[in-house]
Amino acid sequence: MNRSYLDYAAKRIGQAVIVILLSYVFTFIVVSVLPGDPITNVLRDPQNGFSEQEIQQIIAAQGLDRPVLVQLWASLSQFLSGDLGLSMRSNRPVSTLIAEVLPSTLVLATSGLAVAIVLALVIGYGTQFLPRRYGQGLLRGFPSLFLSVPNFVIGLVLIHIFGFQLGLFRVINADSFWATFFAAVALGIPVSAQIAEVLIANLDHEARQDYAAVARGRGISQSRLFFRHLLKPSALPVVTVVALTVGELLGGSLITETVYGRTGIGSLVQRSVTTQDLPVIQAVVSLAAVAFVVVNLLADLVYPLLDPRVKLIGTVKPRPATGDDAFDDRVEGIPS
Amino acid sequence: MASQDKLTQRPDTLSALLTPPLLKVDGLSVAYGRRTVVDDVGFDLARGRSLALIGESGSGKSTIAKAVLRLLPDGAHADGRIAFNGQDILKQSERHFRTLRGRAIGFVPQDPANALNPVRAIGAQAQEAAALTDEPNKALRKALILDTFAEVGLDNPGRVYDSYPHQLSGGMLQRVLIGLAVLPRPALLVADEPTSALDVTIQKRILDLLSRLQHDLDISLLLITHDLAIASERADKLVVLKDGTVQEAGRTQDVFSAPSSAYARKLHADVPALNPDRYAALRDPGFHRLDGREGTATKIAVEGVSKTFSVDGKSLTAVDRISFSVAAGTTHALVGESGSGKTTTIRLLLGLDEPDAGRITVSGETISGSDRGSQRAVWRHLQLVYQNPFTSLDPTWSVEQLVREPLDRYRIGTVAERRAQVREALANVGLGDHLLQRKPGALSGGQRQRVAIARTLVLRPDVIVLDEPTSALDVSVQADIVEVLLSLQANLGLTYVFVSHDLALVRQLAHTVSVMRKGRIVEHGSVTDIFDTPRQPYTRALLDSIPAGVHASQTATHKAANLRQEIFA
Repeated sequence: MNRSYLDYAAKRIGQAVIVILLSYVFTFIVVSVLPGDPITNVLRDPQNGFSEQEIQQIIAAQGLDRPVLVQLWASLSQFLSGDLGLSMRSNRPVSTLIAEVLPSTLVLATSGLAVAIVLALVIGYGTQFLPRRYGQGLLRGFPSLFLSVPNFVIGLVLIHIFGFQLGLFRVINADSFWATFFAAVALGIPVSAQIAEVLIANLDHEARQDYAAVARGRGISQSRLFFRHLLKPSALPVVTVVALTVGELLGGSLITETVYGRTGIGSLVQRSVTTQDLPVIQAVVSLAAVAFVVVNLLADLVYPLLDPRVKLIGTVKPRPATGDDAFDDRVEGIPS
Repeated sequence: MASQDKLTQRPDTLSALLTPPLLKVDGLSVAYGRRTVVDDVGFDLARGRSLALIGESGSGKSTIAKAVLRLLPDGAHADGRIAFNGQDILKQSERHFRTLRGRAIGFVPQDPANALNPVRAIGAQAQEAAALTDEPNKALRKALILDTFAEVGLDNPGRVYDSYPHQLSGGMLQRVLIGLAVLPRPALLVADEPTSALDVTIQKRILDLLSRLQHDLDISLLLITHDLAIASERADKLVVLKDGTVQEAGRTQDVFSAPSSAYARKLHADVPALNPDRYAALRDPGFHRLDGREGTATKIAVEGVSKTFSVDGKSLTAVDRISFSVAAGTTHALVGESGSGKTTTIRLLLGLDEPDAGRITVSGETISGSDRGSQRAVWRHLQLVYQNPFTSLDPTWSVEQLVREPLDRYRIGTVAERRAQVREALANVGLGDHLLQRKPGALSGGQRQRVAIARTLVLRPDVIVLDEPTSALDVSVQADIVEVLLSLQANLGLTYVFVSHDLALVRQLAHTVSVMRKGRIVEHGSVTDIFDTPRQPYTRALLDSIPAGVHASQTATHKAANLRQEIFA
């Protein structure tokens, strides 16, 4: 843990905090300028049966009669102190609503990611060592196949085969081990495709490097070559990709939860959007942003620890400036 | 001479009679799909002896090395017989052969910078080699590794063990790799161009190390090289390859001093180290300009120029108060190892960097890196030919576009005039009009470098900076390019600033030389003075590192013979 790494980490964490705040503000503005007034649409809906007095109470409690900027400020300072406000629909704290469904989604998303990584590793290993005559080419086609099939289709196919045909899990009981397992598979397959694409390209690149030949010349085994030599340098760009798939995992979770009838963030979002429950929407979107930023922050922080060659920002020697002249191609050719 | 021949011949014939060769390659052919890259190659290597495979790119020499190690890529098909200790390597299962790799057959690769996993510590990789010794104790294995590191001349084995590859220099890495290769005490060491990526003085030390280990540990050495001089200095037997077939094979002295095939003769004639005066007729008129007999002016004057960069907060003096001048129509060579300041000097000369102190004038105009207008003016006088023609030409452009581009940028002449100038420039470098529409991908390395030279010629400059213009090319192609450059100088009166680490080449074509070390010019003078009577030890070290071919090994044999006579007398 040297000084430049701590500087680097502090800088990255600062940037992450700014991104989270900006995303909160952005969501708030988008939600408030969205067409449709939640008060008219929801509270005054005769089916809900609120009296005019109750409506005024809710408006006052939520502070909806104040100017937007004041509301933003109030909401932002609440958010920073960890208070996500009250649901307009049920009047329960938003944090409680989220806490109820978050574990289920987290389980699904992390197991989906685990499935994706394992699948990508298996495909990656196969592309390096499976002989051509045993279908290496076919294996290399898997990622594009996985990418081109939407995950709800995969989910439905899995339910059909393993739920209905083989009876491995009861479709109704969404929380059983097998139901969760197949939901994770449905979620993980498209994600694995993105990871595998990058992993395969990097494995191919690393396998062509001299050091791979030299290491084999040292008489090491295939699996040692893969896990001890090729995997680590190939995994470095994959770290970035995995961080970027968090969005995919979150979005995919919502769809998969619907297909598998699971309660989770997905069902919460669905309910809040249809009822325009603004505090809940705001909180979920902000949480998604936080999750995304935190995971990418972790990736940034891990990267220099994995690759000893990474030069941290601030220590890179600036290249002499070159202009727009005819001889730029030669200028770049000169190593400095 | 005759008695000496007998002395050197006898061990060969004796060992051949008594023991079968360690490595016997017989009728080896390797094909990638339908393309045959190695065709019916055969040779054998006795225990403890050395053999060099010599050839240019595409000769199949590296493919043969990979076949011996069974590291051929997917899709390559090898036929014939490679017998190691009497067992046919090609017929063995991968599982069985793996026990030989490393243990019995060691491998030293070409480019040490890429030959170790960049994200793992050297110690972890060394442990893999040490595991081949069947020593179960990890601490003992580490001791063995440190011992080997010391043996190959690494100063601080413990520090090397804990380092990552990017923290060591190329020479140190090559020592590490040689150490790892010899650590399990293999019977055969395959070295694929082990020094071509290294500085000259390091090259010699690494080759000395390989020779020493070969003798001390009684290892057979299969040396793959493009350099006839190195091969004949280091190997007992030579096999000359071209296009995958053996052109000539035999004892080094025979092949070297009396090559029978036309190709081997040409190869011999093209090696600069062996033919210092090959281009004398083209070069020598330049000396008259130098001593003022033709009354020519100074073309380039560099006076007390310094340049300091800051790297990681520390300041690094890349060039330190250097001065030299170049007479018009002559060639000035800057020689030195990497980090000596050669590249910075030419960047300053081209106005790409601004000197911190001192003054550079070309044809009386002062070069300043900060003023773009004057820089453009200077660039019409001063052009650069870059090292590697495989990367310096845009692959999507045609030859005509590439050569015409400078004219377009400087808006010189009408379209028809530009076209005529492009043809003239191409004719000057010996390229015909039929190549005008070709893309670089459809040209050979030599043709590409000619295009790069033609591109500099269209602006009719009077100075051309040549940054290692032949180092990416094969020797025979290199000889062509040198000839083109010298005839251009003779015909157009060009002044060259020639940057190279190849002193043999410098001797062939330069008139004056500056020897650079750590940013300073340690010695300068005419090429004959520097090469015949070097005053600085550094210059002497550089000159000593020029491989001298078989003469050196002859004297070694001679010494050994004398020693033997003394002892047994």
